[in-house]
Amino acid sequence: MPPATPTGPAASPDCPIVCAASALGRIAVARFPHATRALALLCLAAVAAWGWNARLPLGIRWLPSPGNRVGIPRAFEKRLPEINVARALQLYEAADALFVDSRDQKDYEKDHIPGAVSLPMREWATAWPKMRDRLPKDRLLVLYCYGAHCGLSTRQGKALLENGYSKLVILDYGWKTWTEADGPTVKRPRARER
Amino acid sequence: MAAVKRLLTHPIFLRIAGLVVGAALLYASLDKIARPDRFADIVHDYDMLPVVAVNAFALLMPWTEMVAGAALILGVWRRGAGLLATALSAAFLIAIAQAELRGLKIECGCFDVSEMSSSQASWSLFARDIPLLLGSLLVWRKG
Repeated sequence: MPPATPTGPAASPDCPIVCAASALGRIAVARFPHATRALALLCLAAVAAWGWNARLPLGIRWLPSPGNRVGIPRAFEKRLPEINVARALQLYEAADALFVDSRDQKDYEKDHIPGAVSLPMREWATAWPKMRDRLPKDRLLVLYCYGAHCGLSTRQGKALLENGYSKLVILDYGWKTWTEADGPTVKRPRARER
Repeated sequence: MAAVKRLLTHPIFLRIAGLVVGAALLYASLDKIARPDRFADIVHDYDMLPVVAVNAFALLMPWTEMVAGAALILGVWRRGAGLLATALSAAFLIAIAQAELRGLKIECGCFDVSEMSSSQASWSLFARDIPLLLGSLLVWRKG
C-alpha cells in the first residue's frame, strides 16, 4: 500500500520558502524514509566531525592548508614551513642543512641530491628504526619528495615532529623543482659505465 | 532456497547482522577519528578525490562510520543506517579494487592509520569487505 500523502502547510505567498521546504521534507520522509534517515545520520556525523575537529589538538582544516597540503594538523602548519627551490639551493651551497629524501629507495638510488639521506616514507616502519640514531636533531632538515601534492615529505615532517625534531622545512614541489632548477644531483651510473 | 531466505530475513538474524556490521564500523572509525591527519594522508594515497576534497572526506567519513555503526548497534533507524553502511562498504570495495588494479602499494587505512601499520590495500582485504557489504545490504533491504 503506498504511503499516505503527507499533509502540512502548503506554500503560500505568506510562507513561500519555509512551507515549501517543509512540504518537500514531509514528502521525502514519506516516500524515501530510509534514505531520509540516512541523510539525517549523515548530517549528525557532519556536526559531530565539525565539533570534534574544532577541539582536537591534531585537528586539520576542512579545506587543504596553504600550499594545497592535505593532512596537516593546524598545530603543525607553522612548524612545517615550505621553502622554494632558490632557498633550498642556498642552504645546499652553504651546507647549512641536511637533505632528506622521502621518496622510494629505488628512486633515491637512481638519482638524488648530493649528501641527501634516504628515508623512504612508504617504508617508514622499517626505514625509521635504522635511521633514528643517524638523523641529527640540531641540524636543519630539508625534506623533499617527488613533486606537487606528493605528500610524502609532509607526512614525514609530521612523523619527525612527533619524534622530537623541530628544525624541519619542506621543499615545495620537491625533486621536480630541484631538477628543473638544475640543482646538483647524484646519478647512479648506467650498467655499462660501472 | 526458501529456508535460506527465511533464515536471512529472520528478525534475529537481521539483528545479529546489524550488530556485527555496526561493531565493525564503530571499531573501524576509532583510530581515524583520533588521527584525521593520518587518515587524510591515506585518503590522498588512494588518489580518487581532488586534493581540495581530501581533508573534508577524511573528517566526515569516520564519523559517518561511527554514527551508522552506533545506530545499527542500538537498533535506531536501522534501515537508514544500513543504507549508509552499504554506501560505505561499497566505497571501501571500489577504493581497494582501483588501488589494486592501478598497482598502488598503499596502506589500507581500514582499522589502523598508524605510520607503523603494515596493512596494505589488497585483494584479501577486498574479500574481507564483501561480507560487510552483504550484511549492510541485508539490513538496509530487509532490516
